[in-house]
Amino acid sequence: MNQIKYLFHYKKYGMLRYLSHLETMKMIDRALRRTGIELKQTEGFHQRTKISFAQALPTGIIDLAGLFVVTTFEEIDVSRLKEANKLCPRGCEFVKAEKVDEKFKLSRFVDGYEFKLIFLKEPEDASFDIEKKGEIWIARIFRSFNSSIPKNGEYGQFLTIRSQAITGGAN
Amino acid sequence: MNVLKKLVNVLDKVQKPSRYIGGEYNSVRKKDSKINLCLVFPDLYDVGMSHFGMSILYDVVNSSSFASCERAYLPWLDMQEEMKKEGIPLYSLESYRPLDKFDVIGFTLQYEMSYPNVLRALKLANIPIHRNERDDTYPIVIAGGPCTVNPAPMEEFIDAFFVGDGEEGIIEMLKIINEGGNKRHKLEKLSTIQGVYVPGISEKASKRFVSRMPNAPTAQIVPYTNTIHDRGVVEILRGCTHGCRFCQAGMIYRPVRERSYQEIVDLSRKIVKFTGYEEISLLSLSSADHSQIKELMSHLKEIKNVSFSIPSTRVDALSVELANAVSGVRKSGITLAPEAGSQRLMDVINKGITEEQIFEALKHAKNSGWSRIKLYFMLGLPTESDEDVMAIGEMLQKVKKMGFKNVSATLGVFVPKPHTPFQFASQIEPEEAYRRYKLISWAHKYAKINFTDPRKALIEGVLSRGDSSIGKVIEKAEKKNLVFPDWNETFNPDEWMKIFEEENVNLKRISASKDVKDVFPWDKIDVGVLKGYLWLEYQKALKGTLTQDCRNGCTGCGVCQRFGVKNVLAGRKAPDPLKVSVEKVSGEGI
Ligand code: SF4
Repeated sequence: MNQIKYLFHYKKYGMLRYLSHLETMKMIDRALRRTGIELKQTEGFHQRTKISFAQALPTGIIDLAGLFVVTTFEEIDVSRLKEANKLCPRGCEFVKAEKVDEKFKLSRFVDGYEFKLIFLKEPEDASFDIEKKGEIWIARIFRSFNSSIPKNGEYGQFLTIRSQAITGGAN
Repeated sequence: MNVLKKLVNVLDKVQKPSRYIGGEYNSVRKKDSKINLCLVFPDLYDVGMSHFGMSILYDVVNSSSFASCERAYLPWLDMQEEMKKEGIPLYSLESYRPLDKFDVIGFTLQYEMSYPNVLRALKLANIPIHRNERDDTYPIVIAGGPCTVNPAPMEEFIDAFFVGDGEEGIIEMLKIINEGGNKRHKLEKLSTIQGVYVPGISEKASKRFVSRMPNAPTAQIVPYTNTIHDRGVVEILRGCTHGCRFCQAGMIYRPVRERSYQEIVDLSRKIVKFTGYEEISLLSLSSADHSQIKELMSHLKEIKNVSFSIPSTRVDALSVELANAVSGVRKSGITLAPEAGSQRLMDVINKGITEEQIFEALKHAKNSGWSRIKLYFMLGLPTESDEDVMAIGEMLQKVKKMGFKNVSATLGVFVPKPHTPFQFASQIEPEEAYRRYKLISWAHKYAKINFTDPRKALIEGVLSRGDSSIGKVIEKAEKKNLVFPDWNETFNPDEWMKIFEEENVNLKRISASKDVKDVFPWDKIDVGVLKGYLWLEYQKALKGTLTQDCRNGCTGCGVCQRFGVKNVLAGRKAPDPLKVSVEKVSGEGI
């Protein structure tokens, strides 16, 4: 049977921002299992889908730029993805699934991430690139792949959002 | 009260916030029901989500046309603190509604050590803990689960207890509560349902039975949190008739009711599909007993991408065979429970196995590639002598010499439980337990021995065989923040001992051996097995006489004769229950 590698883009928001990285992985694995799509499993006794995730997020952060790679034995078209989304808990959404090359590596694909920090009052740290929107202030910061991620509340922000993956396309 | 809005302020500050967010896949948010029930497991989410009873009732109620069911668990101490600070009451995980907005609150009492947690849950929900302080404006507080076979210690707090299989009873109860009227009126009507005991109204109550295995939930709730048992569940059989004389489950869940292997396979497939679980647990008190276990194991192999687990701890060749079948190539650790070390004592407890068979099973385990073995024993069983204790050490030595790399033993102090033959037996005191434990200190070089604090057993004994005066102890324990007493990090035995003293609890009397003529606080609950039968079993125990498993022939415990049920085996017909008159089985004129 033909193996196909897929890069999934997903979002995790609402109450699901309180999942740890491990809990997120498990939640996604089980959502995929419910679709019945045949997925490559890890070796070893315990049943687990072989999924590689990009950089882990600390608990509490909203993720609009989640990425993972799985290997399937069947095509995942738009309608299949739609079905999959119906099998996700509220707050988790698969945005798209794109076929990638056999040698695709997330660590080479992702250069870094853009984060948005939401403040309820004007932040003191002037080094941010800040925009005021109605009652809130939004700061944008960039962090390169696998460097430290701004923790919730670290700068006095009310919310932290991983808003975008910056991809260089080295693959 | 908008709980959700306030939660945002606290969830960033607590450990494992996923326990508190609700909205898990397959959880049901049923709107516009006539009557709303919130089931509460009085322990941490991680534990509560691992118990199956609640998910059965959740499914039954949410499938009904008129009622909804939601869930709550007791938050860990850090979350309790934060909730108090923010003014967040205990809320349900489906609609984030404060518990006092429900019509009915249903606690599941799975183990006595959770009693203080029940009171804490009520307090967190701003509901008065005493039943007589709750007027019509508060929810009716009911409780089910195995501990209800002795409702006395909790009867000041609970409006109505439900004893037995709850699938039908819960609907009947909700219907009555839905019919309206004042609290007193509702409780009076509830007391007429078989299985319901209403303190202050009922004089007696009988357990409720379902004669066959009922429908089972397949769209089971999938937690985000790594719970203790994070997997799908198929209950393959209910009840156990081996007749171990210490075992409460074996007495109160009679008779045996098996599900056919076809149904189990079908349920397993559905669970995998609806949940995405990668593991399914085949639940029962003794899985190896299933009359179609061989067919079952071979058919389960056809289900792809899922592993099965069987929580069986009996020490026989078949159990080892089952452990082999589900473990595949990776054989990490096997757990077996001989309970006693000597043949004499095994006969006293009616384990129904010989030492020879145990060692055969162990040899089989060894040859099948198991290298780590965990053994369970009880200290202080009736008639136990120092030789019997030494025999535990000798068994460990022998096991180690068989070549197991890693042998560990857990030693717990025996707690006599209501409605078992050993309800008449005495419980040894902590000092005596330590003395006996020391008798096998030489065996530490063969096995890692874990000795559970005997004061835990003492507390458990008081909560199990206690009467209604123990309610004061539970109340005080909650006040002194002795919640989560089952957790090592929060267990504070010294404080418990202080409370026993302050409340003048007669530990000697509770722990002493008893006579058949004694009146017990739990006599008002009829679980089916007759007190006279239990007494005869106790007498046989003292003589070391065995009683057979009643799937091979009825031994006249009284359940089937009196409640019109019988052992239902999937693979063969069980022998008919004996036709004995109640007087005859009850012995001694009880
Ligand atoms: S009445 Fe007989 S067959 Fe029924 S549970 Fe008791 S011993 Fe077993």
